[in-house]
Amino acid sequence: MFKSKDKTNRRKFIKTTVTTALGITVFPHIIPASALGKNGQVPPSDRIIMGAIGVGSQGTGNMINFIKKKETRFVAVCDVDLKHRERAKQLVDQAYKNSECRTYTDYREFLEKEKPDAVSIALPDHWHAIISVAVANKGIDIYGEKPLARSIKEGRAIVDAAEKNNIIWQTGSWQRSIPNFHHACELIRNGRLGKITYVEVGLPDGGKPIGTPPVMPVPEGLDWNFWLGPAPTRSYRGVCHWDWRWIMDYSGGQLTDWAGHHVDIAHWGLGLDRSGPVEVEGEGIYPREGIYDAPVEYDIHFVYKNGMEMRVANRSRLAHGMGTTWYGEKGWISIDRGGLTAEDPKILDEKIVEDDIKLYKSKDHYQNFLDCVKSRKETITPAEMAHRSISVALIGEIAMLTGKKLQWDPVKEQFIGNEIANRLLFRPYRKPWEFDY
Amino acid sequence: MKKIISIWSKLLIIPIVLLLTSALFNACRQQPKNKVLIVTGQNTINWEASSKALKQILENSGLFRVNVHISPQQGEDMSGYNPNFSNYDVVVLNYNGDSWPEQTRISFVDYIKTGGGVIVFQSANSAFPDWKEYHEIIGLGGWKNRDQMPGNYLYWEEDEFVTADTGQGYGTLFLKAEAYLVVNRDTAHPVTRGLPERWMHADDIIINRLKGPAQNLKVLSTAFSDSLKDGTGRHEPILFTVELGEGRIFHTAIGYTVSDEEKSALECVGFITTFQRGAEWAATGSVTQSVPVDFPNAVSTHRWENFLPLSLDELMAKISRYKIGMSRKFISDLSNRIRKSDGSPETLLEYEKKMLDFLNSEATIDSKNFICRELSWMGSGKSIPTLEKLAKEEATAEIAAFAFERLKAE
Repeated sequence: MFKSKDKTNRRKFIKTTVTTALGITVFPHIIPASALGKNGQVPPSDRIIMGAIGVGSQGTGNMINFIKKKETRFVAVCDVDLKHRERAKQLVDQAYKNSECRTYTDYREFLEKEKPDAVSIALPDHWHAIISVAVANKGIDIYGEKPLARSIKEGRAIVDAAEKNNIIWQTGSWQRSIPNFHHACELIRNGRLGKITYVEVGLPDGGKPIGTPPVMPVPEGLDWNFWLGPAPTRSYRGVCHWDWRWIMDYSGGQLTDWAGHHVDIAHWGLGLDRSGPVEVEGEGIYPREGIYDAPVEYDIHFVYKNGMEMRVANRSRLAHGMGTTWYGEKGWISIDRGGLTAEDPKILDEKIVEDDIKLYKSKDHYQNFLDCVKSRKETITPAEMAHRSISVALIGEIAMLTGKKLQWDPVKEQFIGNEIANRLLFRPYRKPWEFDY
Repeated sequence: MKKIISIWSKLLIIPIVLLLTSALFNACRQQPKNKVLIVTGQNTINWEASSKALKQILENSGLFRVNVHISPQQGEDMSGYNPNFSNYDVVVLNYNGDSWPEQTRISFVDYIKTGGGVIVFQSANSAFPDWKEYHEIIGLGGWKNRDQMPGNYLYWEEDEFVTADTGQGYGTLFLKAEAYLVVNRDTAHPVTRGLPERWMHADDIIINRLKGPAQNLKVLSTAFSDSLKDGTGRHEPILFTVELGEGRIFHTAIGYTVSDEEKSALECVGFITTFQRGAEWAATGSVTQSVPVDFPNAVSTHRWENFLPLSLDELMAKISRYKIGMSRKFISDLSNRIRKSDGSPETLLEYEKKMLDFLNSEATIDSKNFICRELSWMGSGKSIPTLEKLAKEEATAEIAAFAFERLKAE
């Protein structure tokens, strides 16, 4: 797995963190009223000191949501783009009416100098593993964006690091904290449709290819080489923030971007979120031209151990479009952000009663993380579950790239009898970045 | 019991021998069995360039022998014009010009009704506005006073085909040829079975507002005529079939041709494939041809110069000139071929051998880097020495190391 020299003991670490943060770094001279817990504020002893690594659109959004919680205190932000860093610092400073938020370009320096309790991570997928593992190895709790990782082996490394360091991990698969999704999953888990034989998961259609833009100067303040990190060297062509997700060196397109939502819900309803399919076959439509090379359309068929089948495809191919639809002996239930529907709508009014299985309840995804940071209980979407959700998309991606039907061992996390497909379980890193097998 | 088996086996030998002989005979016989006649000589598009291309496209399939029959020029005496249709299995209409003599019309209709195959090619659907049976043959047509004639428009709207009485209405064209999406509405027909349901057609026009009797007509494919580009805002039929008597008619309204140099629409693998399959269906009622690996997908066009796929050597030669920033199509094509191959160790070794030769040849750094990336997953131990060598050269070091790391992991 990832090389790490730092194996700080978690408990000792929290203690140090709080002392450092309060005593020296954050409030060096004057202790404001809020620090004493007056005026409805959370006393500093209960506060969760936070930092953010990756403060583009999603990272900034997550950070704002955390700042709104009274028990958090942001002390530092880290991003390879000066514009992002400055904007994030400004937001933090405005919220606390000071100018104390520290900024970093290099996450390693951030981790050396800062001792937060928790970090919010939102990065291009190809950076997820290196930074998440480094943060976990410092014993810092993580709110990390989906998809968990760019490859199966990186995802497993993150799960292992989170478990080994006994950190709290929450994935940004926030649909789990929305009542409709929760209710749908409880209905499925409690057999209201009888046995589930088939699931359809609709994810967005891919955008149109844009051709290959010319090489252009790297915008001032962006450390392009650092942004590329472990991915192959590439000239800057104006495709960076947000649009990295259409290039396979960084992401797998809409498929991997969204599997962490709707495949995650499909698994949750079925109680398969610590498991995976045993067979996969699929077809992707890849642009023949241009800088974007992720599939713009995809249609993947999975079989699970119990014989249940699942189809994950771009929405235009499916009758229900976006979202998750379970088909069982008693019809179907479909859930998406637009609403919860069923073949027989009466089924949706069914109450979950005392003897029924109750799924983890969270009303607020960010709050759930903070609560768990304090209670040290598992969050609603721990790393393992996020890994299992994105694994579906990642092995689907491999089936499409190889054009073959593949057998998958969800325990060993290896393809059976196909060494070629197994090579695609990891993307080698560009030096000096390293990944240990 | 023994006796019975013995008799049966003797009886069986004869048909087996006959079958083998006939298979051998067919294999040895160089001449393809289906005869095609392209009738042309007058047209609003370039009939010479298009006829030459259509002949080559049909012959490339290995299924057809093709003759081209050229009419007198426009305005010349047509009275002796009388192609011998009945000698052929398929007649391709690449003609839009002066009227045929009555006897020629009669013999053509008779040819169809007694089981002859026809392809109506592109603007042939504007020909002969005054010939009633011709309207039935083409099913739908455009231009040439058709606005004054009865008939229906036929187009796709909200998941079904609708016909609209035209009153007065006429066929119009997209003036600008460009790539557009084709949707196969009938995926069970022999011509379209197994093809991608949606595919990008290379630079062509769409003939809008086709109208006609549309009897025994089955639409296979449509293309959206964008109202923002002076189109109809409808999904117009572009490939369809008509059955008349015993005859089968395949109507392809695409294939706009300017000249020998400007014929992108004909080079589209989608056009070539549907034309070859349409001809086989018109001749025999079924299709035996497989779908080419290069068939265009829903976002990318694909053209074949000379109407034939590149051999692997030709493709590698194209790739050898690749530099980042140039068209990525040839490198995409190689990935696509490997993906769609049977994936057996033997096949992959064949590819690997070509790729290793490539890495040891004169080729651009960017193309070598691409080949290394591809080898990283589908290569074998045989690639290691070459990758080790490339890893020592600055320009290829990074990607060779990438490939090396994946392969050495075994």
